[in-house]
Amino acid sequence: MLGDVLLITDKHRAAGKKILDYLLGHPKEKMVVAISGESGSGKTELAHVIAKALRKEKVFAKPIHTDNFYNTHPLLRREWRIKNGIQNVVGYNEYQWDAIDAVLRAFRAGEVVQMPCVDLVTEQVDQLTTDFENIDMLILDGLYAIKASDIDVRVFIDLTYLQTKEKHTKDARGKEVMDEVRWEILGREHQQVSELKHLANLIVTADYDVVEQNKQ
Amino acid sequence: MLHDLITITPRHENAARLILDRIMELRAEKPSEKMMITISGEVGSGKSTISVVLGRMLKKRNIRTKILDLDDYYKIPPLERRKWRLEKGIESIGYDEYDWDRVNQNITDFKHSRTSSLPCVDLITGYVDELITNFKGVDILLINGLYSLKIEDAALKVMIELTYDETTEAQRYSQKEDLDTYRLAVLQREHEVVQSLKSKADFYIDFDQSLFHL
Repeated sequence: MLGDVLLITDKHRAAGKKILDYLLGHPKEKMVVAISGESGSGKTELAHVIAKALRKEKVFAKPIHTDNFYNTHPLLRREWRIKNGIQNVVGYNEYQWDAIDAVLRAFRAGEVVQMPCVDLVTEQVDQLTTDFENIDMLILDGLYAIKASDIDVRVFIDLTYLQTKEKHTKDARGKEVMDEVRWEILGREHQQVSELKHLANLIVTADYDVVEQNKQ
Repeated sequence: MLHDLITITPRHENAARLILDRIMELRAEKPSEKMMITISGEVGSGKSTISVVLGRMLKKRNIRTKILDLDDYYKIPPLERRKWRLEKGIESIGYDEYDWDRVNQNITDFKHSRTSSLPCVDLITGYVDELITNFKGVDILLINGLYSLKIEDAALKVMIELTYDETTEAQRYSQKEDLDTYRLAVLQREHEVVQSLKSKADFYIDFDQSLFHL
């Protein structure tokens, strides 16, 4: 994703450090970490700080955002969702999971792969070619990322869109127009994302503590 | 550039708004023409953040802007650059480090509304990816980089004057790279090269005061 604006704060760094410790304590070659959570919960920020911290440990991690893999073009998505009914179509099936799986396979095999890459400024979908040969870890973040097949560590941020309401209202990230349609989409995503919580190994709580799911 | 840490402040917005006004004036003269704009300035002066803010402002006016970051165009990739520079000496640092053929190829593709392949550094991994983009429908090519003033035929050449507090600058930039004595020497050399190009600009922005002059 190009042109994304991140709001990294101390809470992301603190949670990121705890997740980093967990990852370093569970080493695995070519590890795939997935981070899920609702819109505005801080997935991308968390992926960023973890990947940065891993570099200091000589681990090369590449963050990849599932929002690059929507079936619909950024400029057409809103109309498409309205036309087909938000309650019917917003969810897991909006993504090209085959393409995401292909990226994960290429990563495991250390191969070169081409993938979509959304530019938030032009609102176009570019194509990004990357070589996974020297990449040790892939961090996949997105609403439903932890539902992808073949994930080693699943992180779930337990924060709803209503708890981050201010973030959406202030339009600080300038991503999408906030109106009734957008709120309905966030509500629908909330239902869909909540159902994935049980899959997680690590839960980032509402106050950004990190706990292991089976030890809760 | 992937994974650049863009954090917008009101200062960036003020600077972008000044450039936006100037762009709208230029576009009023030649409404449908594709336009190339450069933004230069010192390391840490906020070039890339201002570019993103400006690109978003233009988007709201239905003007499509593709941002090129000249940091993507170094002939020597990030993970090898330090060693290369140490071998070649401090004088090797400057605009000849860019792959200008590649820059010019991408500019030509923009002018002809063609599909183009661009280098794209992932700032987290340090590796260089390739980005295929289609310039069809892109109205403005916004090129930011230390030495972007070398691109002579830009319709607008903006220089961000650094009056930023040096500590802030260092802190901001340290998100991209670790600072040490050698890095500081590099910054000094880059500063000198940037200053030597300064007279080529036609629009100056004082980041602190949000003042500008032609």
